[in-house]
Amino acid sequence: MQSIKDALINRILNSRAGLADGNFRHKKSAEEGGCGVTGFIASIPVRGRHIYEPSVQMHNRGNGKGGGIAAVGLSADSLGVTQQVLDSHYMLQLALLDPLARPEVERANIEPFLDVHKAQKIPSVDDYRDVEGLEVKPPDVWRYFARVKKDVLGRFIEEHGLQAMDPARAEDEFIFQNSYRINQKFYASLGEQQAFVLSHGRNMMILKLVGYAEKVVDYYLLDEFKAHGWIAHQRYPTKGRVWHPGGAHPFSGMDEALVHNGDFANYHAVCEYLKQHNIHPQFLTDTEVSVLLLDLLGRTFEYPMEYIIEAMAPTTEHDFDQLPPEKQHIYRYIQSSHIHASPDGPWFFIIARNNPYDKFFQLIGITDTSMLRPQVFALQEGAVQIGLVCSEKQAIDATLQSLADEDDRFCPVADKYWNARGGSATDGGSFMFTVKDAGKGDGSKELICTNKFGQVVRTPPGQQHFRPSEGVAVSEKSEEISRLLEKGMDDTEPADLKQSCREFLTAWDYVSLGQFCDELIIRAAKSDARRTRAIDLLTHLNDRLIPTGTKKRSAVLQMIRQSLATIFASSPKMNENGHSQYRYIDWSDRDTLRPPREGECICVLNAKDFPPEGDTCDARLICDAYEKGWKQFICYGYKGQRFTGCGLSTDTDDVRIDVYDSSGDYLASGIDGLEIHVHGNAQDQLGQIIKRGKLVIYGDVGQTFMYGAKGGDVYVMGNAAGRPLINAVGRPRVVINGTCLDYLAESFMAGDPLNGGGFVVLNGIEFDTEGKVIAQANPYPGSNLFSLASGGAIYLRDPHKQVVEEQLNGGEFVDLTPADWDLILPYLEENQNLFGISIENDLLQVDGEKRDYASVYRKVQAARLDVLAKASTAVEEWGEEWQE
Amino acid sequence: MNQISKQQQLPEIKEVPSRFRNTIGKFTIKRSAACISCGLCAELCPYGVHLRYENYSKPMRPVEHKCIGFECRQNEYYCIDRCPQKALTLRLNPVLETLGDFRWPAEMLLAHWEMAETGHLPVVDLEYNLGNSGGGFDKIRFKLPDSEKYLDVSDEAMDLSLDLNKRRDGRPERRLSLPCYSGGMSYGSMALTALTGRARAAQKLNTLTCTGEGGYPEEFIPYADYVITQVATGLFGVREQTIQYAPVIEFKYAQGAKPGLGGHLLGDKVTPEVAAMRETVVGSSLFSPFPFHSVYSVEDHKKHVDWVKAVNPRGLVSVKVSTPTDVDMVAVGSYYAGAHIIHIDGSYGGTGAAPDIAKKNIAMPIEYAIPKVHQFLKEEGIREEVCFIASGGIRNAMDVAKAIALGADGVVIGTAELVALECVRCGNCESGRGCARGIATTDHELGRMISESYAEQRIVNMYMAWRKQWCEILRQFGMQSIRELVGRSDLLVHLDYLDETQRAQYQPVPRHRMII
Repeated sequence: MQSIKDALINRILNSRAGLADGNFRHKKSAEEGGCGVTGFIASIPVRGRHIYEPSVQMHNRGNGKGGGIAAVGLSADSLGVTQQVLDSHYMLQLALLDPLARPEVERANIEPFLDVHKAQKIPSVDDYRDVEGLEVKPPDVWRYFARVKKDVLGRFIEEHGLQAMDPARAEDEFIFQNSYRINQKFYASLGEQQAFVLSHGRNMMILKLVGYAEKVVDYYLLDEFKAHGWIAHQRYPTKGRVWHPGGAHPFSGMDEALVHNGDFANYHAVCEYLKQHNIHPQFLTDTEVSVLLLDLLGRTFEYPMEYIIEAMAPTTEHDFDQLPPEKQHIYRYIQSSHIHASPDGPWFFIIARNNPYDKFFQLIGITDTSMLRPQVFALQEGAVQIGLVCSEKQAIDATLQSLADEDDRFCPVADKYWNARGGSATDGGSFMFTVKDAGKGDGSKELICTNKFGQVVRTPPGQQHFRPSEGVAVSEKSEEISRLLEKGMDDTEPADLKQSCREFLTAWDYVSLGQFCDELIIRAAKSDARRTRAIDLLTHLNDRLIPTGTKKRSAVLQMIRQSLATIFASSPKMNENGHSQYRYIDWSDRDTLRPPREGECICVLNAKDFPPEGDTCDARLICDAYEKGWKQFICYGYKGQRFTGCGLSTDTDDVRIDVYDSSGDYLASGIDGLEIHVHGNAQDQLGQIIKRGKLVIYGDVGQTFMYGAKGGDVYVMGNAAGRPLINAVGRPRVVINGTCLDYLAESFMAGDPLNGGGFVVLNGIEFDTEGKVIAQANPYPGSNLFSLASGGAIYLRDPHKQVVEEQLNGGEFVDLTPADWDLILPYLEENQNLFGISIENDLLQVDGEKRDYASVYRKVQAARLDVLAKASTAVEEWGEEWQE
Repeated sequence: MNQISKQQQLPEIKEVPSRFRNTIGKFTIKRSAACISCGLCAELCPYGVHLRYENYSKPMRPVEHKCIGFECRQNEYYCIDRCPQKALTLRLNPVLETLGDFRWPAEMLLAHWEMAETGHLPVVDLEYNLGNSGGGFDKIRFKLPDSEKYLDVSDEAMDLSLDLNKRRDGRPERRLSLPCYSGGMSYGSMALTALTGRARAAQKLNTLTCTGEGGYPEEFIPYADYVITQVATGLFGVREQTIQYAPVIEFKYAQGAKPGLGGHLLGDKVTPEVAAMRETVVGSSLFSPFPFHSVYSVEDHKKHVDWVKAVNPRGLVSVKVSTPTDVDMVAVGSYYAGAHIIHIDGSYGGTGAAPDIAKKNIAMPIEYAIPKVHQFLKEEGIREEVCFIASGGIRNAMDVAKAIALGADGVVIGTAELVALECVRCGNCESGRGCARGIATTDHELGRMISESYAEQRIVNMYMAWRKQWCEILRQFGMQSIRELVGRSDLLVHLDYLDETQRAQYQPVPRHRMII
């Protein structure tokens, strides 16, 4: 059995032997580390315009010198063919850098081999200069719906001895090789490149140009074009004068499109591996190499996706130990065969593909084992389902907003956001969204999200999204709501009001909630005191994980956030009259910024239209306002704007910034005294070199959190992604209630925590759908905890001692002393105040019984490492002083 | 202060003698017992080798490093011949055989000590332009100039300035008076007095120095406008405030002496003061990671640059990278990410603390990297938008001129400044108390060997001497501004690419065979 398969693989590989005819350049064509990638797939086809907004959000991850998009699951109508043709025919898309080259390409590589059902130049804007921002004319693209001629295919099979192969797959191989020949003849081997194949898969297509990705939508008129899945890529090539998009992403193997953010350290090693299999890269970028590797493993070796992912991002260290024995067995074989060709370095792939054999469309995100690139996944399940993968969360939100504006079956907030843990035993660092026939017989499709191991990711069942279009009814609870607010806004203790609202939030339907919000907005406008109370109340409902009954949490959040935005925006502007402690400013009237007048104290900043960075960004406006005397800020409307809170310098203890919506990278980096509350998930590189101050995050936080931090009191309600607190020194004091992906507190150097140094409390808990605190499956699943640390400590809530010595590299477990508990208790108390996570009822409860702290928490402290402190004469000389 | 200053008054040269009683000279002079203390030698010597107290007849021990040696024979004041008792003997100093190395031979060290002492080019016949490395700048020479082109203008009329911001992006334009500034050395790597002396010298010379990766000692604050804050991968001692102090913020991605490694300070040097400045644990080695954990790609890098720009809206940004084979792309990427200064650091540099295996084997030599980057920037059409700085084994004024002719706008100097402070290049910098000269030390007693004013004036003197040499090179080629020299690699020759007869015009270092 095995030998037949082996022989077939060898024959396929041998059939490619003649493809490359010398003349290969070997150097990578351009260094490009970075990029922005975004993608989504929905159970219904959606218009191309929805990839527009997220692409715009990623501008600062590219430089406008290369962009591309791909779509899968296309609409036959917009292409002018029947569904049957769309399903069965290859869509060869040929980019003509030199429009005059077409007859020659057709004569040489299309007419002799392919039966062309339909050939057309794909429509585009007449003059590229009409598309703002395009400086180079995009290529003319010709699209051929084609099959391989029967006799040609027969000869191909005969010639290479592929009789054992499914003829359909042999046809795939022919198409692949034919396109390779086109590229070789008209692109790779020439000094003057004339034409290349963009894609040739079935029911999928790729388009790319020199410019930002969303210009593809503009130029090729895809605004109304419908497809299930879309991906886009903003490229950042470092070679300046790019005149054609050959090197831009996505790249394709057969029926997939792949975009990539990152950079391989072993590009040449991977190329060598491919060359051993008669595959010679033609476009000389990491991305092309990735997709060729994927194609080799998938189409030629016929590995299932799980094994392909394992071959690319191997499971290592502690995670490998956590795998079941049968998986270890097979993974060991995969690793020993493929580790030398597994991409090394930072990378993150998004793949959109069509599987015409098993009839599904798929969107896949894979991160490298070390999680060195940013990545966020999101899922929304309702009347329609959508899965999203992006470099930054605000691109996800932008996609959903764009979709929701058109179709209210989509909600602007996803039901679930998360990060993958690369090369892990828990999720394998990869999630895939599969869209296939729902089996209802009406052609409708459903979307299922699974991880590398095929485990299904779901949103809480039995909840409905809010559909504004379903008409506005009057709430049955109308009077109850009015009563509650009538009293609540003035008399009730705020805590009591919050308590009753929490209960109501669970019980009410959308209509009641809507009415509640509306009334609150009206009442808030009446006085400053009421405005403050309304903001406080809504913020509380936004921050806490309150059970939402049959309502989707995402929809509830959306209503609460919209109400908050309305209240914020109703504050008087800087240049308006009227007495209020609130003053509103946004991009359009940013010039009206002035010092606060008597009684004014809160600057409400709508960051929506501000650029994400640069001298006019909102973070600079906060600095200016601070210099003019403003101390309190409410900032909202964020779409990933960066650096919030940066630049205020020292002695800012009396400053407080409240941040709502999709805040951006580097928030709170370097703060020295001030207080920042992030009401929602936060992004990457937060709190870099933070010196002092307070940072509270009512959600998860992204990569490289608090890198090089010197201090600060920091509370995170959810999880942190990879590499939090690397190289932190001084006295950072951090409570993370969730867990981290990996590399927590590597090279931690924060002195002796019992003597003024720093520490991290890691609680390893989460909230269930009922809003109850439960322990996560493992308080710290990563393979590296506190590696090479020389100071500070981790206080780990781990009552079942799940974290083991192997995860430490230089640290050691010790028992908690009363001094340790006294040290962390005030921080846990503040944590309780902020997030409602009770010490007595949540943290010290284990399996329903209360335990004492010493049997719940464990301390990891630095062990003295030879590599850091060689037996040194200095120790003797400095004596006691060293231990201070 | 951040405006382009008018042609600044040149700082005053003041003689600063060696800190050590017995100096090292090229020659040694012995005075035998036959001396009758007649004092003739002291009367004769115009160089001050023989000194004598007025009220005490016997001359003191000869100040050997001032002696010009055998070439004095022809002079009527040649002490050896004139001594009535023949009590004086002159020899080549045998110490020279053990001093220095192929890159920094003994004579180059001696010459720099002399320049730092006097502020003038050496009087003693010393080879200070070339080492014996058999490659690099030692094989690159300026072509013999056309004597007709000689431009007879004074040093004062020469323009040696360097513009740091050419982007015209609204940030301050900053003009240094020299085509170089000094490299990052951290608090912890060096005696604080030496560091502060460097900052003071930078102020005097209207150039810059750099904190390195070790925090920002308060002592720098008076000179803040002349101190670059370095943001390196360990982020040690970097705070928002220290970013805001600085006219220029330097991102150190890598160092040519040890690409692929972060900075490292071994446990011995992490004294309580150093640990306090960096807020770390005393006695525990500090390894900076490689690379920045927040930067794994060029768009991360842009974000990083945007961040410091947001923190310091007046600061210029320098990006320091080592020289991998694709250094040209890295440079262009840095430019597009918003850097004002692109600083490439080649392989020859590094003090004793960099591991030899890295120092000698990894990065691309700077003389290859400079023209590669220069050319690439030109092809991209952005050469005039960016200040291009080179460093890594640029030892002396001649090397600086060569680097500029190869395509750099200016250079960064590290080791030469230490040599000005009488470093003997023994290479024990990493050990806290290993520095015999009290420079690269965190030891309190050793650190007291250097005073700030000594360090300041010695460094000023050395650069003033270099300035004279640059002026002469420019005059020879008929130039009045160092800017005219940028990218003039047509004025250079590489000895390996000349035929025998041509090569004969360019003499090798004295007493060494030319290695071909």
